[in-house]
Amino acid sequence: MFYTVIEQVVNGIVSGSVYAIVAVGMTMIFGVLRAINFAHGEYYMLGTFGAWFAIDYFDLPYPVAIVIGVVATALIAVVVGNLVMQRIVGAPAEAGVLATLGVALILQNTVILVFGGSYKFFSGGYIEPVTLFGFTLAEQRILIIIVGLIVFVGLELMVTYSRMGKAMRAVSQNIECCAVVGIDVRHIALWTFILGAGLAGLSGVLTAPVNVSVYGGMGELITFKTLPIIIMGGLGNVRGTFVAAMILGIAESLVATYVGLQFRDTVGFATLMLVLMWRPHGLFSAQARF
Amino acid sequence: MTEIVRDQTMTPAESPVAKTGTDLRVAFGLALAALACLAPLFLGNYPLHAIIIALIFLLPAHGLNLLLGYTGLLSLAQAAFFGIGAYASALLAVHFGTPFYLNFLAAGLIAGAIALPLGIPALRLRSTSFVMCTLGFVIIGQAIAKNWISLTRGDMGLAAIPKPYFALGPASFTVSSTVGFYYLVLAIAALATLAIYLIVRSPAGRNMIAIRENETLAESVGIPTWYYKLIVFMISAAFAGLGGSLYAHYLTVVSPLTFQMYYSTTMLIIVLGGGAGTISGVIFGSLLFVGLTEALRVAPELRMIAYGFFLLALVFYFPNGFAPLIGRFWSFLERRK
Repeated sequence: MFYTVIEQVVNGIVSGSVYAIVAVGMTMIFGVLRAINFAHGEYYMLGTFGAWFAIDYFDLPYPVAIVIGVVATALIAVVVGNLVMQRIVGAPAEAGVLATLGVALILQNTVILVFGGSYKFFSGGYIEPVTLFGFTLAEQRILIIIVGLIVFVGLELMVTYSRMGKAMRAVSQNIECCAVVGIDVRHIALWTFILGAGLAGLSGVLTAPVNVSVYGGMGELITFKTLPIIIMGGLGNVRGTFVAAMILGIAESLVATYVGLQFRDTVGFATLMLVLMWRPHGLFSAQARF
Repeated sequence: MTEIVRDQTMTPAESPVAKTGTDLRVAFGLALAALACLAPLFLGNYPLHAIIIALIFLLPAHGLNLLLGYTGLLSLAQAAFFGIGAYASALLAVHFGTPFYLNFLAAGLIAGAIALPLGIPALRLRSTSFVMCTLGFVIIGQAIAKNWISLTRGDMGLAAIPKPYFALGPASFTVSSTVGFYYLVLAIAALATLAIYLIVRSPAGRNMIAIRENETLAESVGIPTWYYKLIVFMISAAFAGLGGSLYAHYLTVVSPLTFQMYYSTTMLIIVLGGGAGTISGVIFGSLLFVGLTEALRVAPELRMIAYGFFLLALVFYFPNGFAPLIGRFWSFLERRK
C-alpha cells in the first residue's frame, strides 16, 4: 500500500516535470506578451513529430532526434513569432486568444495533412528499467526529472543574471516603461516566444518514449493541461508554475490510481475552478513575476 | 475587444446605414426573407443541409453575441451548453418519448439553469481567467459525457434520437424530410433572432452595452452589473442549449464529441466574422460559415487550416468582422443613387 503510494507520487513527479517544462514556457510568454498561447500544445506536438521524423525516416539515434525536434520547433516558432505573436503585443486580450487559436488550428491540421491522422509508433528513448532505493523506474523517466531540474535552474539563472533575462523581467513588469527607456519590446517578445515554444518542443521529445504513440491532435490535450497550471501558478510566475505543475502531476497520478483513470484529464480544470473560487488570482499571485 | 467593438456602439438611429438607407435595408431584408422561404425550390438536399447546420449554429451564436458583442465577456463555454442541450434533449426523447417542442424547451431551460451555478464563480474572474474557466466547462462536460456511462452510454453516445414530432391531442406529425426540417429550423431561427432583437432594443440591452463600454461607470450610475452579467450568461447558455437540441434531433445521434472546442471556435468565427454587437452581422456570419465550409468540402484538414487563417485575418485585418464591409457597400449604393 505504502509502496504503491510512493510509486504513484514518483510517477506524478515525472509527469509534473513534463508539465512544468511546457507550462513555464507558456507562463513566460504570458508574462511578456500578455497573451495566453492556445497553440502551446502544438509546439509540444511539433517537437515530438520532429524527433519521430528523424528516427523513422533517417534512422538517427535518440539524442540527435532530441536536438532535431527542438530545432524544428524553434524554427517554426521563429516564423509564427514574426508573423503573429509580435503583433499581439499591446493588443486587447481577446486578440491573443483568437490569433493563437487560429495558429493552433493551422499547425495541428497541417501536420495531420502532411503525415496523416493516424497514430505513429515512437521507437526511440531509453526504456530499460533501473532499480533505485528499491523502486523500479524506466531510465527515460529519470532523464525527464533531471532535464526538468536543469531547465528550471537554467531559467532561474537566466532571468536573474543574463541581459536578455533581465529584459524579459522588465517587459513583463511594465511594457510602456521598457519602450520608453529604449528596450526593443518586440525583439524581447519574439525571443521569449521562441524560448517558450522550444521548451514545449523539448518536453514533447522527452515524453514521446513514455507515451510511445505520436499523433497530430496530441497537442490539444497538453494545452488543456497547461492552462490550469499557469493560472494556478499565477500568470507569469516561474516558481509558482513549477509548484503548480508538480501538484497537478501528483494529483493526476493519485486520481488515476485511486479514483479512476478516466478522470485523470479533468483533475486540472476541476482543481483550477476550486482554486479560483478561493483565490481568484491563482495560488501564487503576481507578487513574484518571474 | 473593448477597443474593437467600440465602433459599433452606434445605435441604428445614428449609424450611417440607417441614416441613408432604411428603405433599402427593409427591402433587402424582405427579399432575403422571401429567398429563405423559397430556398428549397431551387436548392438541392446537400446545400439545404449546410444551411440547416448554419441556422442551428445561429442560436448559440446569437447567445454568444449577447455575451461577447453586447456585454463584452469572451466565453468559450458555448460548446459546453450546446452539448448539455443536445444530451438533455436526446435523453428525454429516448427515455420518455416526449414530443419535440417539450425536449426543445427543456434543453434550453436545463442549459440555462446549469449556467447559474457555473456562472457565479466564473463571472468573478477577470478577462483571461474567465476565458480559461469557461474553457474548463467544455473539458469537464466532455469528461462527464464520456464517463457517466449509465446515463450517457459513454463514447458510444446516444443513437436513434427521433426526428422532431409534434403531438397535439390525437393529431401528430413528424418532420422527417430535409425540407421539412429546413422550415422548422428557419422558423425557430427567425423567432430566436426576434427574441434577441427585443432584448437588445430594450433598456436592458442598453445597460448591457454600458457594461461592455465601462463596467465601473455602469455600476456607478446604478446598473446592477453583476446580475446583468449573470443573467446574460444564463440566456446565452439557454440559446446554446436550444441549438444543441436542434442539432441532436437533426443528426439523430449525440456523442461526447458534441462537447468540443470546435463548436466554441465555430461560434466565435460566426460572431466575430459577422461583427460582434450586431444582429445582422451574426446572421451574415452564419452564412459566411456555410460558404467557408462548402468551399472546402474536399478535405476536413484543409477546412480547419482555413479556419485558422480566417481567425488570423479577422484579428489582424478585420477586427470588426466582415459585416462593416457590407455597411460600406450600402453607403456606396446610396451615393450612386
